[in-house]
This record gives sequence, C-alpha cells and structure tokens, in this order.
Amino acid sequence: MPGLKRKKNRDEPDVEVDMVPIMNMFLVLVPFLLMSASFLHIKAINTSVPVLGSASKEKHVDPSLKTTVVLELNKTAMALSLNADTIEPKEAAKWRRQFSKKDDDAFPLELLADHLGQIKNAYPASDTLIIVPNGDVLYETIIQTMDVARYKDSETKLFPNVVISGKIG
Amino acid sequence: MRRYGSNRSSRSFRPPKLNITSMMDMFTIILIFLLFSFSSEPELAGMEKDMELPQSTAKTDFQDTIKLVLSQSTLKMGDDIIAHIEDDIIIGLDPKDLKSSDLYRQLSDRAKTSVEITTEPEGPRPILLLCDRRLPFKTINQITKTAALAGFPNFQFAVLEM
Repeated sequence: MPGLKRKKNRDEPDVEVDMVPIMNMFLVLVPFLLMSASFLHIKAINTSVPVLGSASKEKHVDPSLKTTVVLELNKTAMALSLNADTIEPKEAAKWRRQFSKKDDDAFPLELLADHLGQIKNAYPASDTLIIVPNGDVLYETIIQTMDVARYKDSETKLFPNVVISGKIG
Repeated sequence: MRRYGSNRSSRSFRPPKLNITSMMDMFTIILIFLLFSFSSEPELAGMEKDMELPQSTAKTDFQDTIKLVLSQSTLKMGDDIIAHIEDDIIIGLDPKDLKSSDLYRQLSDRAKTSVEITTEPEGPRPILLLCDRRLPFKTINQITKTAALAGFPNFQFAVLEM
C-alpha cells in the first residue's frame, strides 16, 4: 500500500481549485441575505365586528346543538355567559362563569379553555364567540383570549369565529 | 542575529497554505439557511421601530389587502400617516362623529372601488390591522368601528408567530 501511494503522488500533480472568488461571492451574499432575511413571521387572526342588518347566511342547524358564547373582559376578570336567545335561560345560567386574575396578574386561561371545551362538547355546532372587552383591556390580552377560544390544540377547533364588540353604554 | 535574519530572507519565500475548506462549509450552511429565511414580502413595511406585535398561535397567512398600522404614536394606512395618537387617543377621530374623520373618508373611497372590482360574494376583503400589543381596546375599537362604518367589517389581526 505505501508503494502504491507513492506512485500515485508521483504521476498525478496536485490540482488545487481556486476558492477565493467563491469565498468573495459568499462574503457579499451573506451580508446581503442577512439584511433582507425576515426572522419574524407574521400571521393573522380573522375576526369581525358586529354590523347592523347583516343577514345570517349560515345553514339551519338544530338549535339545541348551537349557542353563542359571550366573553366579557375587564382588567381584573373575565365573565363568560351563553346567549340565552338560542337556549333555555336556565341552561344558559348553568354555564355562566367568572374567571378572576391569579396572583401573578395573569388570567387563568387554562380554566377558560377547559370550560370552553365543555361548552363545545355540549353544543358541538357552536362556532362563534363574542368578546366584549372593556376600553382599558390591552390588545395583547384580547389576542391571548382569542388564541385560547379558537383552538384547543392545533387540531381541535373550539370557537373559530371570534367577533369583537365594544361595550354599549 | 543579523546573519540569521539575512539567511532567512535569502531563502525562497513560500506563502503558508490556508485551508479554507471548513470555512467554505460554514459559509455554505449559513448561505442555505439565509436563502430559506429570505423573504421578499415587505411584511414589516410601515411598522414603527418601537412597535411590538402580540404573539399568537395563529397559523393563517394574511391577505394582500388594505393595511392599517396602529402604533403608540401614529395611525398609518399603508405607509401614509393618517392620524397621530396621544395618550391612547387618536387625534382627529371623534368617537361621536366617526364619519368626519380622514380614516373614514379614505376607507369609504377604497370601499367604493373595492366593491366595483371585487367579485367575492362575501363583500370587501378584510383589513389587515397591525396593532401594538400595549394599546388599550378603546383605541383599537375606534378604528374597527370606523372601518365597519366605511364598509369593512372584517379584519385580520396581525400577530407574530410563536
């Protein structure tokens, strides 16, 4: 084996590819791409505001399977209720909940998600949630609440149609 | 010392060979990574430097439509400043008379052309709303109300992917 190696070295001259132009090109490309690279990916949450006179185009579903969840937000608590127009007032009252802020100044979003999951199981045709925030509620809090209300996990939908409504009065 | 130095310089100088293979490998990896994250979309165009979008688990891509950018100091439509904001109050946007605002006028003009050109049964396309996460709802509510009055009741809230 050492003999073979010696022979090969003697017959074939070392060929070196000049990498300097490629390196130069890389050195120009890398800063350019670094400047134009976007590391923040923007996504969107679809929502709407209630409008007078917009006729409902949705298919007819059994009213016993469908209701609308109303979630009122203020700086210290969330109040959840169901729309009593579509279900019995007694039944609606059963689902009413209040979620106060925890000691760490955060809303108990896990509890809210659990409760919304139970409502979804009881009324599987429901897909709409109306968020009614107070004027002083921060936008970030509204987005966090929407996240919890729309999907339980990446597969399971809860209430994907979120409507934002300002308080009247 | 002198003799030693002169002996050294008299020898034929051979430049040291630099092995740049590993450096090439590194650059190739960086280049591929950057090419993948390269974005030609002007996603953040119009955003103020101190603006912070909220984070969300949303996966929906936004549509190329009317863009409203609401920072802590200005309200922009695309790249044009429409109003200034002081203490979370939009200057020139009277909550009791939203139709007198510049925002309403500009959006109604866009709504007219949008209805003419759109063939979508759902009406005008949603407005993409980029809001600072620290703004209170009362400020955002003025914008959404005005847009709804002008014929744009649907919105896409822009968020940062988690």
